[in-house]
Parts: sequence; C-alpha cells; structure tokens
Amino acid sequence: MKPQRKKRLGIILFIAAGLSVAVGLTLFALSQNIDLFYTPTQVAQGEVNPGQRIRIGGMVKEGSVLSAQDSLRVEFAATDYAHDVPIHYEGILPDLFREGQGVVVEGSINSAGVFQASRVLAKHDENYMSPEVKAALDASGASSANHQLQPES
Amino acid sequence: MWTWFHQLGSPKWFYELTGRWLPWLVAAMSLLLLVGIVWALLFVPPDYQQGNTIRIMYIHVPFASISLAFFPLMAIAGTVTLVWKIKLADMIAKTAAPLGAWFTALALASGSIWGSDIWGTWWIWDGRLTSMLLQLFLLIGVISLRSALEDTDAAAKACAVLSIVGCINVFVIKYSVDWWNTLHQPASPITTSGEGPNGPEIWVPLVIMIFAIYLFFAVALILSTRNEILQRERRAQWVQDLVRTA
Amino acid sequence: MFEIQFASLGEFFSMGNYAFNVWSVYALFALFFVINIYFPLVRRKQILKEQKRRLLLNAEAEESRTGSS
Repeated sequence: MKPQRKKRLGIILFIAAGLSVAVGLTLFALSQNIDLFYTPTQVAQGEVNPGQRIRIGGMVKEGSVLSAQDSLRVEFAATDYAHDVPIHYEGILPDLFREGQGVVVEGSINSAGVFQASRVLAKHDENYMSPEVKAALDASGASSANHQLQPES
Repeated sequence: MWTWFHQLGSPKWFYELTGRWLPWLVAAMSLLLLVGIVWALLFVPPDYQQGNTIRIMYIHVPFASISLAFFPLMAIAGTVTLVWKIKLADMIAKTAAPLGAWFTALALASGSIWGSDIWGTWWIWDGRLTSMLLQLFLLIGVISLRSALEDTDAAAKACAVLSIVGCINVFVIKYSVDWWNTLHQPASPITTSGEGPNGPEIWVPLVIMIFAIYLFFAVALILSTRNEILQRERRAQWVQDLVRTA
Repeated sequence: MFEIQFASLGEFFSMGNYAFNVWSVYALFALFFVINIYFPLVRRKQILKEQKRRLLLNAEAEESRTGSS
C-alpha cells in the first residue's frame, strides 16, 4: 500500500473510531435519564433520597412566597398541581421568578423534607403576549395558570 | 436520461444562474430584513412576563430553526456526491459547514444572552442546549475532517458520511423539549384569530424575519459556493475567460 | 398592531432595563451579517486577482519559450 493511502486510511479509521465513541456515548446518555429535573410528584413518590443533589421543576405555588425583610432568604413551594415541595433559598432570584410561573431549583432535600436550594432558575412557558392581551384573557377567565408541568398520567 | 441532472450539477451552469439570481435575492433579503427588524424593535408589544427581551426572539428563533437545516442539506449533497459524483454537490456541502457553524453559534449565543437574566443562568446542560452544542461540535468536526484530508475526493466522501450520520442529532435537537424535562420551553403554537397568546402581532414579524434570514442563508451560501467554483474550476476555459475580463 | 411601543428615544435605547441583552444580540447579528456577506466578496476579489496573475505569468512563460527558439 502506498504511504499516502496508508495515511489517508489512518485518518479515516481514526475519525470513524471517534465517531463511534461519540455515537456510543450519546446512545448511552439517551438510555439514561436525561431529564433536567424531578417533578414534585416524583419527590412525593420517594424517588429522591435525602442529601442527593438534584433539580426539582414545578410552578411557584400562588401565595406561597415568603421573603425575609432583612436578607435575601426566601421560602416558597414548588407544585405540579398534584404535590408540593417546600423550598428554602438564599440568594438572587431570576427576573422571571414570580408566583404561578415555572421554576427549576437546584439543591437537596433535608431530613425534614424541605428542599434547600443553592440555585433558582426561572422556566418560561411557550406563551408570549402583551400585558393587554393577558389582562383581557384573565378578565374572560379563559386562562388559568398554565399546566405544562403537570405530572404524566 | 440523466443528462439533465448532470447538466444541473455543472458548476458553470450554477455560476451563471446564481449570477442572475443574486441581485434579486439580495434585494428581497434587504427589504424583508429592514421590515422585520424595524417591526421587531419598535412595534412588537413587550411580553407580559419578559418585557422587551421578547425582541431577542426575532433573532434567536430564525437562526435556531435554520441551523437545523444544515445537516439535512449537507447529507443530501453528500448522498449526491457519493452516488452520482457531482462536483457541485460537494462544493455546496463544503461551504455549508462553516456557515452552519456560524448559524449554530449565533443561535447559542443569542439564547444564552436571553437566558442570562430571564432564566437566571447563561447556560444549563438540558436536552435542548446540549444537543445544540453537540451540533456545533459536529460541524467543527466536519470542517476539520475536510481540512485534514488533502485529497479532495476522499475528503468529499468522508464528510458526506459524517453529514449523513450527523442528521440523527437534528431529531434529538428538535424533539429534546418534548422527550425530556428541559429548562428550554417547547415550541409555541400560534394563534391566528381573536385574542390569545402568540397572536399575529407576535408571529407575523417572526415569519418575516424567518424568511429574511432564510434569504440571507441562501445569499451567503451562494457567495461562498461561487468562490469555491472559481477555485476548483480554475483550469476550465470559462473560468479563465472570466478571470481575464475581470 | 402598528403602534410604536416606546414613548421616547431614551426609553427605546434602555429597552426597559434590558438594554444589554437586546442590543448585544442585535449587535452580534450585525457582526455576523457583515462577516458572512462581506468576507466572501473580499475573498472573491482575492481569487480573481490571484488567478489573473497566474494566467499572465503562464502567458509570459509561454511567450519567452517560443521567442527564444
């Protein structure tokens, strides 16, 4: 075999090997759970161990947000309208954090069943509208809180 | 029977045809871009939750959606290269890869800037963002594969195979938000009539921007492909004639 | 649907405290646009110039060969 061809074959084999590793890893990752977060229902069903670092996703329960006057401490409940998880957090909240909006929290559950969050991220839904349209919708009662995070039945 | 197909794939034919089309494509692109950007920046109502950051959508969504077209395009061109050995197909595939990397990078960057305040993070390893980053790496892989192989034919074949395999990731990107829990929201359904979320005041300018950026994609791809033709066909009589009069 | 959403130019530039996010994305887009339209045009000029020079060199070499014989 000519050295030129040998080199070319080497490159192709190298790339083919790299590619198969990449595909293999991807398939492995796909077979694992690549969900970003657990739902409150999964937490209630005991799928999460205390102390395990996880993320929980849900809606910020209406009327559940309590913020301290003198610090950045905040307490609220994440809900998927079936179960709630109480959450404690100290730090800066994202701009979109508000009651009735989606949220993803990072941290772990303590033995008392309270989720100690080290990071809070806001999850936006797919609906865009002006404040006027929103007000009109609310007035007609057409839109209740959106239920995109409801547990799978 | 296949002569028309090979004629269609002749670089000279492509060069002359796109030469006639370019002024029109550029004109349409400029007009749509102007209308789309002015509309997005001035007339779109701020979102009830996100305020003016909704204007980022008019750059982010067109770029993100068109980024998904690159691997299928390169795979089709690659198949034509492998089966019919038409040179033009490989020239298009070659210029598409760096352009695709730019599109993917801009979709990632604009999304990151959008999320930095709204989500509260620049980056998160969720299904959508990770698979999009994988596409950027795959495109860089295609580009470096081509530059690693000196032989044009071997490079064309290797890139064609990698492009066809890379198409799998397009499905992963597209359905990642439905298959898994992600921080990224799913695609928005549009509302055509009456009052509701995602009404025409929001999606009409978005459609204009998507068309504008598709035209931009076409113009950029044509410009680079014409350069590629001039280089690879430099020994052809018609290119030499063209160079002499230039 | 066709109402300008800003009362003043200052309000337009500040984008409701999201000036950085909105304007940096549009600036990136402008940069990207220039790169992918302007650079191919510059490259085209380079290619044409290079190939013209090569053609002239070849023609000269040809001429000197036939001239000397």
